[in-house]
Amino acid sequence: MRLLLDRFPDLAQTLWTDEDTVEVRAQGAAIPDLLQRLRDDPELSFWFLADAAAVDYGVDQHFEVVYHLYSDKHPAWLRIRAHVRRSDPHMPTITHLWEGAMFHEREMYDMMGIVFDGNRDLRRIYMSPDYRSFPQRKDFLLPDDAADSPAAGVNPLERPETWDLSRLTEELAPGVVAHVKSET
Amino acid sequence: MTSDVKIPDPLELERAEEARLRSAAGLAPAARTGGEYSGFESVGLPDRPPETEREQELYTLDEGEMLVNMGPQHPSTHGVMRLVVKVRGEVVIDIDPVLGYLHRGIEKLCENATYTTVMTYVDPMDYLASMHNEHAPAIAFEKLFGIKAPKRAEYIRALVVELNRVFSHSLMMGFLALDMGGITPILYSFINRDEVVDLLSAISGQRMLFNFFRVGGVNFDANDEFFSRLGTWRANVVKTIDMSERVITDNEVFRARTIGMGVLSGKDAIALGVSGPNLRASGVPFDVRKAHPYSIYPELEFEVITHAAGDSNARYLQRIAEIKQSIHLIDQIVDKMPHGPVQAQVPGIIRPKPGRAYGAVESPRGLYSVYAVSDGGPNPYRFRMRDPSFISLQAIPKLMPGHLIADTMAVMASFDPVMGGVDK
Repeated sequence: MRLLLDRFPDLAQTLWTDEDTVEVRAQGAAIPDLLQRLRDDPELSFWFLADAAAVDYGVDQHFEVVYHLYSDKHPAWLRIRAHVRRSDPHMPTITHLWEGAMFHEREMYDMMGIVFDGNRDLRRIYMSPDYRSFPQRKDFLLPDDAADSPAAGVNPLERPETWDLSRLTEELAPGVVAHVKSET
Repeated sequence: MTSDVKIPDPLELERAEEARLRSAAGLAPAARTGGEYSGFESVGLPDRPPETEREQELYTLDEGEMLVNMGPQHPSTHGVMRLVVKVRGEVVIDIDPVLGYLHRGIEKLCENATYTTVMTYVDPMDYLASMHNEHAPAIAFEKLFGIKAPKRAEYIRALVVELNRVFSHSLMMGFLALDMGGITPILYSFINRDEVVDLLSAISGQRMLFNFFRVGGVNFDANDEFFSRLGTWRANVVKTIDMSERVITDNEVFRARTIGMGVLSGKDAIALGVSGPNLRASGVPFDVRKAHPYSIYPELEFEVITHAAGDSNARYLQRIAEIKQSIHLIDQIVDKMPHGPVQAQVPGIIRPKPGRAYGAVESPRGLYSVYAVSDGGPNPYRFRMRDPSFISLQAIPKLMPGHLIADTMAVMASFDPVMGGVDK
C-alpha cells in the first residue's frame, strides 16, 4: 500500500481499506494509463484482472466502473473506482491491456449503457441486438406482470386491488388482512 | 492404387439404381425436393448493418467461406449457447459466440431480494457448483455486515464446497468424453455425482439447488446420516474415480482428440481472463484458495497443482488431479472439524451499514466473485457476480481457427463452461 502511494501520490486522497481490499478512486480518462502502470511495474505487477463491473448510483447521480485487480506480491485485492457521468456515459476501453475485458465491457454496455471508446466489438451480449433499453439502470422498472400471469387471482395477494393495503378488505382477501396487520 | 481412382458416391449409386428400376417399370423419374439434411442450419447474413468492426469482419465472407449456426439447441453446447461459425470446408475460420438465451437477470433480481434470499437466486446460476455460488455472497455479506461465521460453520462450508468440486470435476470428465462420442464415461460420472449429491442432500435437504449457506453460518449442522454416508463414500471414491479415469485417459481416440488440441499459453490465458483449472492447466499457479486465502484454507495443507501443456488433455488431467486433491482436503477437514454452533447471531432482516465488499472463491470453473454495494437498506443496492465460465468462453474464438468443426465441441468441453453461469 505504501508502494502504491509512492508511485501514485495523487491517489492518497481517496484511499480506503477494509480487511482485505485496498480501494482508490480515479478519473475515468486516466484508467487505461493507471492500469497499465499497475500491471507493468515489476514491483506492483497487478497481472490479473479479477473483475470489472458498473454500478448505477441513481437517476440524479452518476455511474461507477469498478475494477478489481490481483497481484501475487500484495495480499489485498486492489479496487479502482472510476466516476462516469450519467449524461455522457463514456469510458476508455482497457481491452488492449487485457483481451478478456471484452466480455466485461460488452456486459456493462448491454446492462448499463456505458460506451467504451476504442472497444472494437461493443455489441449487446445478453439482450437481442434490436433491444433499446439498459435493464440494470435504476430507472428501469420491472413491469408488474403478476396481473397477466395465468395464476393471477388464484392467490389473493396477486390481485391488483389488494396491492394497495389501504383498500385491502376482509372479503377481498379472507385471512390475509389479519396477517398483514400483524406484520406491520 | 493411383490417386485418380474415383470413389463412387453411395447416394449417386442409389439414385442411379432407383432410376434404372423406375425406367424398367415404365415410371417417370422421381421428383427431387430440397437438399439433404445436414445437421447444421446455415445462417444468412443479418438483416441490419454491422454495428462494430468485429461484426463486419465476421460477416464478410471470402471465396469458399460459409457461415454455419451451431446451437442454441445443440447437444454439446452444455446448455443453450449459439455459435456462429465461419468455415471453409470443414475448417473453422472464425467463431462468434451468441449468448443470452438463458439470461434471467439474476443481478437485477438480487437487487430486489433481501440478503438472505439472495442465496436462493444464485443457486441456479452455475448449477454444477451451487455451493460455491453461495459461498462468495456469504463472504461478501459477512464483510459488509461485519460478522464472522463460527469455526464449525466454516469447516462445514469448506467440506460441502470440496464435495461439490469433486462431483463437478467428475462430471466434466464424462462430458468431455461424451462430446467425443464416448457414451460410457458419462454413466460412471453420473454414478459418482449421484453419490455426492445424496451426501449433500443429507446435510442440506436439497439435491441440486442447496440453499445451504446463510449470512453468518450454514443452515444445518452436519448430522449423523451425513457422516455415515461420508464414510461409505470415502471408502469407495478413489476406486470409482480410478475406474472412470481408466475408461478415458488411455483411450486412443480420446488421446488423439485431446493431446495438442486447443493449446492455450499461460500468457494468453491471463490476457483472456481465464481462471481456475483451465489457467492452471496452462502452467500458471493461480488458485484463489492459496492466492487470497478465505474460510479455513490457510489451515489446510495442499499445493497448487499445475500442468504445463495447456491443451485439452492437460485440462482433463488437471481436473483428475484436483479431484484427488479435494479428497485429500476433505480428509483433513473431517479430521480437524471442531464442535460448536454453526450459525452466528444475526437479526431476521439484515441491514448492513452503507459500504462495499468483495468476496471471491475458487469455484470448479475458476475465480467466482461477488461485489456487493449496500445503501443501508434491507436489499443489496448492487449485486455483481463475476462468473468464471462467462469469461473463459472468450478463449474459444481464439483457439479454434484452423481446427475442424468437430473439434470445436471437444475443446469447448475441456473448458467446462456452464451456460447457467454464463448467461446469469
